[in-house]
Amino acid sequence: MNPYITNLLILIAIYIILAVSLNLALGYTGLLNLGHIAFFGIGAYASTLLTQAGVPFIASFIIAGAISSIFGFLLVYATKKLRGDYLALATLGFNFVIYSLMLNWKSLTRGAAGIPGIVKPSFFGFTIQSNISYLIFVSVICIFCIYLMYLIVRSPFGRLMQATRDDEFGLRVLGKNTSVIKYKVMIISSFFAGIAGSLFVHYITYVQPNYFTLTEIILVLTIVIVGGIASLKGTIIGTFVIVLVPELLRFLPLGSSVLGPARQIVYALILLGILLYRPRGLFGRADLQ
Amino acid sequence: MAVVAQLIINGLIAGSIYALVAAGFSLIFSTNKFMHFAHGSSVVIAGYLLFTFFSLWHIPFYLSCLLTVVLTGVLGVVLHRFVYLPLEKKNASTVVLLIASIGLLMLFQNLLQIIFSASVKTIGYVQVAQGVSLFGASITPLQIAIILLSFFLLILLYWFMKYTALGRNMRAIADNKELAEIIGIDHIKVASLSFFIGSALAGIAGILIGLEQNVYPTMGTMLIVKGFTGAVIGGIDFVPGSILGSYLLGLIENIGIWFIPSGYKDALSFALLFIFLLFRPQGLFGINKGVRK
Amino acid sequence: MNLDVSNVKKSFGGVKALDKCSLSVEQGKITAIIGPNGSGKTTLFNVISRLLPVDTGKLVFGTEEITLLDDYQVSRLGISRTFQDVRLFENLTIRDHIEIALLNTDESLLKSMFRPQRVVVKRVKEILSLVGLNKPLSTFATDLSYGQRKLLDLAIAIAKPHSLLMLDEPVAGVNPVLRERIKEIIKTLHKRGETILVIEHDMNFVMDLAQHIIVMDAGSVIAQGKPRDIQNNKQVLDAYLGE
Repeated sequence: MNPYITNLLILIAIYIILAVSLNLALGYTGLLNLGHIAFFGIGAYASTLLTQAGVPFIASFIIAGAISSIFGFLLVYATKKLRGDYLALATLGFNFVIYSLMLNWKSLTRGAAGIPGIVKPSFFGFTIQSNISYLIFVSVICIFCIYLMYLIVRSPFGRLMQATRDDEFGLRVLGKNTSVIKYKVMIISSFFAGIAGSLFVHYITYVQPNYFTLTEIILVLTIVIVGGIASLKGTIIGTFVIVLVPELLRFLPLGSSVLGPARQIVYALILLGILLYRPRGLFGRADLQ
Repeated sequence: MAVVAQLIINGLIAGSIYALVAAGFSLIFSTNKFMHFAHGSSVVIAGYLLFTFFSLWHIPFYLSCLLTVVLTGVLGVVLHRFVYLPLEKKNASTVVLLIASIGLLMLFQNLLQIIFSASVKTIGYVQVAQGVSLFGASITPLQIAIILLSFFLLILLYWFMKYTALGRNMRAIADNKELAEIIGIDHIKVASLSFFIGSALAGIAGILIGLEQNVYPTMGTMLIVKGFTGAVIGGIDFVPGSILGSYLLGLIENIGIWFIPSGYKDALSFALLFIFLLFRPQGLFGINKGVRK
Repeated sequence: MNLDVSNVKKSFGGVKALDKCSLSVEQGKITAIIGPNGSGKTTLFNVISRLLPVDTGKLVFGTEEITLLDDYQVSRLGISRTFQDVRLFENLTIRDHIEIALLNTDESLLKSMFRPQRVVVKRVKEILSLVGLNKPLSTFATDLSYGQRKLLDLAIAIAKPHSLLMLDEPVAGVNPVLRERIKEIIKTLHKRGETILVIEHDMNFVMDLAQHIIVMDAGSVIAQGKPRDIQNNKQVLDAYLGE
């Protein structure tokens, strides 16, 4: 397969895990989490540091998800009294705090220089070297993740998630402890973001704080909003659209210094356009409250 | 002693700039009740406008400044009319408006990067001057001007809000939009005006920052986060509160580096933002009771 | 089960919404709370279902004191309620609503994913036919008319396992036909032995419905008794007609 396409497909698989897990919290449960990229970053650094300390990949991968989950729980627990844009901004602030730590806790993260030479995944004595095998690897994990999240949203629990989003107090009056529902959703959502971070850094074999900024938040938010709130199918299709559309810019005669910003401009314009002209995205049923 | 004086002066300089950013942000928030994060773009665009008019086109300095401030104000009105107002008409929630404003912030940051490249631009109107000594601390004439001008502008803003008819209308809308409309205040017109004034203030902030620190495209994000943090500390929908909060933030950041490594300066303010949102979302001086639903 | 409210106070800022409010609801009866707008009826409901904390006072449901419990805990003890401004889950179907209400406490995720409790459709249909909501089960709440929303809200409250049913203005804003139907539903529930507490602004609606009537004004109970006695009580007429 063309290495360029393989690369894109690997990134798409990773972003699908990241975006679908965000939709679980943001779309299905109405948790306005703008700090999702922090969990992606925590998973990325956790997995990097663990494998460098000699922990086997599989264990690092799972622990990376678990550490993200712990932060996810702490974040939702700390912000349990906040609603609406205050919640959105507190989670965004959380993202900034984590970013600053990545940048400044140099003894752990090597700061802005980042950590190169991250090992490729290996398990049972087999190492994933080529991009093709990596693509197969992430695709299997991606499909498994989607399947799990599909089971969750289709279950009675998934229905409670949506009821929490639509009217939290109405649901509490029916005897459901919505706080527990939110904790569980954030634990799951940040777990998947964490393992997506692990998959990301073990693919590009390098990690730096700049992968986890506002730009990335906008990217994954755009995917979820374009695909539609509370739609797994929408998020999957949205990921393909959002990753592939800016690739068309490659066919324009743009210098390499312009290509990066031009891609961001395309994301921002898509996001604004969707909000203005099709606020429910491609397949969304609910509005963002 | 000299070190303490220096830290306090540095805190005042940073605080003055944050306060100018926060005052405009807060003014817009109080009349519109949504968070105009792209306010950071207005500041950085002002810096680039001054750079273009003065450094590239050699328009006289004060005329360049005037053009910059007016155009930045107009930019605010344009964003209000063509992005926020259509969204509000669709009954979009404040979160949607917030996300749209972050989208605008990204849009402008990358446009600036394409037009002017990512490198730092120097405006070069004020030559690097020898600092004068004040209580053993060193401060440049430009920095003194920044502090004094900020004080003057913020007092002017306070006077405007308190004693002019338009200022009163703005406060009326901030207090109770429905009631204000019933007594005949045109909400959209006042909202547009608050965007103009708030963004013009951002324009002045952009000029001062441009003269003091040079300009680069990603500066807007950092500035709006600082201005926003200052506003949250003081009380986001209460302009004088957010000004005081910004000075407090400037002082805490600069005095904080006594105790922690200077690299953590930004982390400190993010942590403050986070703590205030969690425990006192109405801010120190905010009048808004509790958390909005 | 009996509900006892004693000496409950609740203020918003300077406004006393409930002032030394005391009342009891007896098992198996329809008790109605009437009173002019702003007399604290809905605040009382919100205090009982713990959506609002009390300032002082005591709430006892059956044998348990519920004054300091969480809203969902009170609900689990068996208090079911409707809202004056109907609260539904807009993006869920009629069937979802009833099923959520029928199943007490299911935040268990793994069980829910792999061994979901089954709700018999017959049970869902039974409740819907009791309130007379004849819409397909897959209709979304957002697509229902006002009257249908009112009925679905009632159906949810009935479906939720409960021993006390609290109805907040069940006929506010509905047409006369629906109004009679809702009255019949409440009578049917009473015949089944349910304990019902109903708030109503309109005195006439409750006169031939309730066995016990409590009149509230300015956050306190000013009179109570059998409907006959209430109708002739001068204090009550004053509160309604004003000075």
